[in-house]
Amino acid sequence: MSALLGLHGLSKSWFGVPAVSDMTLEIPSGVCLGVIGENGAGKSTLMNMIGGVVPPTAGSMTWRGTSFEPKSPADAKARGIAFIHQELNLFTNLTVAENIFIDDFPYRFGLIDKRQMAQRTRVLLDRLNLHVEPDTPVGDLAPGERQLVEIAKALHRQAALMIFDEPTTSLTARETEKLFETISALKADGATIVYISHILGDVKALSDHLAVLRDGYLVAEGPTERFDVPAMINAMIGRELSAIYPPRTSKPAAQVVLEVDGLSQAGVVEDICFKLHRGEILGIFGLMGSGRSELARMIFGIDPTGSGSLFLHDEIVTGDARDRIARGMAFVTENRREEGLMMDAAISDNLSLVTIEDFGRPPIALLDPERVKARTEAVRDEVRIKAADIATQAARALSGGNQQKVVIGKWLLGAPQLFILDEPTRGVDVGAKHEIYTIIDRLAASGGAVLLISSELEELMGTCDRILVMAQGEITGEFAKDAFSEAAIIAAAFQEVAA
Amino acid sequence: MHSPRDREKVETIAQRRRSVWVRARSIILSDYFILWLSIAYFLALAPFLPTLTNPANLSNLLSNTWPLLAVAVGQTFVLTIAGIDLSQGAVIGFTSTVMALLAATTASPDVLSGAPVWGVFIDESGGLFHGLPFSVTLSLVVMLMVGTLVGVLNGVAVAYLRMPPFMMTLVTMIVVSAFAVWITQSENIRHLPEHLIMLGKGDLISVYFGEQDRSQIPRREIFTLIGYPAIITISLAVAAHILLNKTVFGRQVIAVGANRKAAEISGVPVKRVIVTVFAISAFCATVGAILYGARLEAGRPTLGEGTFLLDVIGATVIGGTSLFGGKGKIIWTVFGVTFFVLLSNTLNLMNLSTFHIDMAKGAVILCAALLDVARNRYAKELGS
Amino acid sequence: MTLRTKLLGTVFAASTAGFVFASPASAATICFAFQDLETEFWVAGHQAITTTLAEAGHTVIERNANEDANRQLEQVRDCVAQGVDGIIIIPQDGESAVTIVNEAQDNDVPIAVFNRPPSDLSKGIIVVADNATIAAQAVDFVAQEAIAANPDETLQPLIIVGDLGDPNAVGRRDGFYEAINRYPDNFAEPIEVASEWDAATALANLEAAITANPDIDLLFTSSDFLFPTIRSVLEPRGMWVPRGEDGHIMMAGLDGDATACQLIKDGYVDATGVQDLYFEAESAMNAILAAIEAGDAQPNDVIEDPGFALTAGNIGEREMDMWGCVLLSQGFLDQ
Repeated sequence: MSALLGLHGLSKSWFGVPAVSDMTLEIPSGVCLGVIGENGAGKSTLMNMIGGVVPPTAGSMTWRGTSFEPKSPADAKARGIAFIHQELNLFTNLTVAENIFIDDFPYRFGLIDKRQMAQRTRVLLDRLNLHVEPDTPVGDLAPGERQLVEIAKALHRQAALMIFDEPTTSLTARETEKLFETISALKADGATIVYISHILGDVKALSDHLAVLRDGYLVAEGPTERFDVPAMINAMIGRELSAIYPPRTSKPAAQVVLEVDGLSQAGVVEDICFKLHRGEILGIFGLMGSGRSELARMIFGIDPTGSGSLFLHDEIVTGDARDRIARGMAFVTENRREEGLMMDAAISDNLSLVTIEDFGRPPIALLDPERVKARTEAVRDEVRIKAADIATQAARALSGGNQQKVVIGKWLLGAPQLFILDEPTRGVDVGAKHEIYTIIDRLAASGGAVLLISSELEELMGTCDRILVMAQGEITGEFAKDAFSEAAIIAAAFQEVAA
Repeated sequence: MHSPRDREKVETIAQRRRSVWVRARSIILSDYFILWLSIAYFLALAPFLPTLTNPANLSNLLSNTWPLLAVAVGQTFVLTIAGIDLSQGAVIGFTSTVMALLAATTASPDVLSGAPVWGVFIDESGGLFHGLPFSVTLSLVVMLMVGTLVGVLNGVAVAYLRMPPFMMTLVTMIVVSAFAVWITQSENIRHLPEHLIMLGKGDLISVYFGEQDRSQIPRREIFTLIGYPAIITISLAVAAHILLNKTVFGRQVIAVGANRKAAEISGVPVKRVIVTVFAISAFCATVGAILYGARLEAGRPTLGEGTFLLDVIGATVIGGTSLFGGKGKIIWTVFGVTFFVLLSNTLNLMNLSTFHIDMAKGAVILCAALLDVARNRYAKELGS
Repeated sequence: MTLRTKLLGTVFAASTAGFVFASPASAATICFAFQDLETEFWVAGHQAITTTLAEAGHTVIERNANEDANRQLEQVRDCVAQGVDGIIIIPQDGESAVTIVNEAQDNDVPIAVFNRPPSDLSKGIIVVADNATIAAQAVDFVAQEAIAANPDETLQPLIIVGDLGDPNAVGRRDGFYEAINRYPDNFAEPIEVASEWDAATALANLEAAITANPDIDLLFTSSDFLFPTIRSVLEPRGMWVPRGEDGHIMMAGLDGDATACQLIKDGYVDATGVQDLYFEAESAMNAILAAIEAGDAQPNDVIEDPGFALTAGNIGEREMDMWGCVLLSQGFLDQ
């Protein structure tokens, strides 16, 4: 077996921060390589280097034994590398045949030879077991069928290496099954395949060889049969929690603040039930697309809810965000620029927004500027926003961490009882993270209930009293503090049963 | 080779240059920039246009400012939520007609008998409310309600049906204007009661400058300084200023314009705010209709057509209210309208043709819009 | 030499010397506020006033309100502030004209209203055309011609009426009936065709009327702008025939535009009633200048323009009194 693609000490860093470090790996011809790793482990960067999207900062690649330095995606494509992404690159307004032949239409007498195109397309589609007419617009196809068209396109170009990047996220179970059959058939025909997925069982079933990435390093590699799922998970995590998490200073009480009972919304979340107690920090862990952010938005009344009910202090909750705020809810969304802040408005205007109606004096709700000033400055000091003149300085001028503190601070003015925080430390430096964790702990210690959503498991394990795990819209696990196990939680998030 | 001293000199020049730039920038970004600009423009042109400082002309400047300001105050609210109200002109035409249909003291069948309103709202014995006690007040109240209702419809479509403001108010403009023309068959409705006409031109404080003899026939030179339109518009502007800049509602308006999503998630009643803002816009347009209609002594279905909207939006934007939303102050609009009226006046005094005047106005509005873009960019640069 | 011929002099850029009119002690500044320049009629009216005033050594300040009555009011106020001696306006409509006249008179500036009368004729110098008289003159000419051609027959007249909501249209129809009724023995009941001042409406209604009634002897249109429409109906039916040839229908119009002038010259049209634009301009100017001279700040007068009919008979001598022919001679239709 000679190597089709060789990586030799390949590294990439972004502004000095390494994303992929010293990666050495050979992909032999005719092999299916599974690639796994957590979010941020370096998978995308690695694939982008292979695909010619970004150049490596150090190291080299070889293709069929000769030097390979793709300058652009077209370069990589010309060598025979094909990507099959979760977001497909098809023109939905063109037909199946036109999509397959988009780069090299067959001509006859100066005109596109439609007959030949249709014929050759049919051959390709038959090979993939896809029974649609070549002149069907791609827009009319289901996601799974589109993926097969993408594969047909790769076959047509006689791609030597096909890279599948999370191909099943938008597919139904039936479509997934069909895709696997196709991949197996391709393997049988001697195709070389790289298969990247969070779904460890799929990787195990499909791949011959496995590469595990963590923090930009290749941490484990070998024939797939040598790994079982727990071993895969261990290889992916392999790290102790660091000391950036302040200790919890309080314990949850028995009193239930929020009860979620059977919340469902078709295609988003399914039968979510849990209780959140006074003084408790409840974490929700899940991968992207697991429904965790959507659940938070449903609880806060921004996204529609299909069925199920919510109770706050045993009273049913209805209405829009405004009503829920009045009932004592607060919500820090995952994207503070789009949904959290008025970037060009003064910090104090941002801080006073949620509670602005409390500052009005009847009869026409004339603002009391002195009280606004006093209250916003008090909150600034409380959450330690590093800004001297909050009345004139715009939120835009603050660092990410301080902006996040403004978003949290604006809710603190209203003294809410239920705090929902979605990715509160995203894009925030370590120092500010620590401060935010401290604020979260204080919220719980002062009798609030906190729902903390994060894709960083460490963070949840470091701050929460209890963690719920979501996968594909369902709760797949619940862990009390003394039962926190990274492996078990990740297994639940990947919907695998950890042995 | 530069000696250290040279380098020092270079640095101080650079520093000075930067400090001039910083100062220029702070002037451009200041609330009062357009006021300074207006004053500078006035002083610069005064020596060349002797009429400019003539008391009669100053009186005209004031009287032209009031109705435009009333309408622009409303537009300021809509621009602040990153919307636009193109229907203000049509609302003016329509409500001035409504005013006349209700308050007219008499009407001529020769002119109006073919109109659908004849015999329903108006006939030889005058408008619907003519003869009732407080008929003028009653007419104005109903007229303001009708105008505000048009604004509410705009607001509901924008807030609840998610229509883009541009599209919705364009449709309203066309429909309302066509409706006004249809119900009157494009006839103006005359014979407004004296009390009503007073609102458009009656003066309270006049200034006597003695006989003036520049024209061949000597004139009595008595000039209106403060008339009813001034009182009405100033009251409206002060109320609007308090509402937009000093109340909870005003903060919510600005929040909706700055970041609608964030406002919604922060519990601002966004839809209610939008509806109210469009209602305010139409209300202010209706006040403008009272002033314009009364001073022309007729209800006119075609009032506010043509380039009028250019004047309103132009003046508001020149003032500094951002087309991107989130920034608006009534005081800016006061300065913007002042500058705009001054500009029109001076262009007239230069004896330019209407076409040249419109081109010059367009150029100035373009500059104001570019300034708006530049201000936004500076603000972002300051932030990053 | 009258002002009228003087005007033509300027139009033809011929330097005719010496003109007579009430020349004021010193050159006056006149504000001329008009409402648009979009039809040939207004272009001609505007030209008539500005060139004459400028030639006479007066300063003209022009203000175009672009069909906005409020803007016109503001412009007149600006003129007053600029210290003009007198104002001539072509108002947007009768109602705003009243307001503007009051505004000027309250400020002691004499004002004349040209061509479009205010709703209230009691204030200001008002020059107004009498539509009925003008229409009657034109129709009378064609009626006589028709009777002379067929003295013993009962003739069938047809009138295309304008939008009867417009007083102009009513006046023109009244003038038509006045002339026809002078010859009760010679004419049958006229056929009325509605146009609503709209070419498409006129086309449809006229086609229906002609199909039902092909024997038309006399046709009067309430406005000259409909002649091309009339031609498109008559020509395919062989009824568009010049004077002197068999089957010619006597045709008259009103307005006196360039097309009508051309058609009279070509013999297809026999007469058109004309507002004597030059008479109107001259009257307005003379009245204003006289008021300035006399120190009368609030001159009130109604000057009626009787108009005249430009006919196949008098086109030789009066051609250049009709504004449409003046425009025609300047190549207006070739533009």
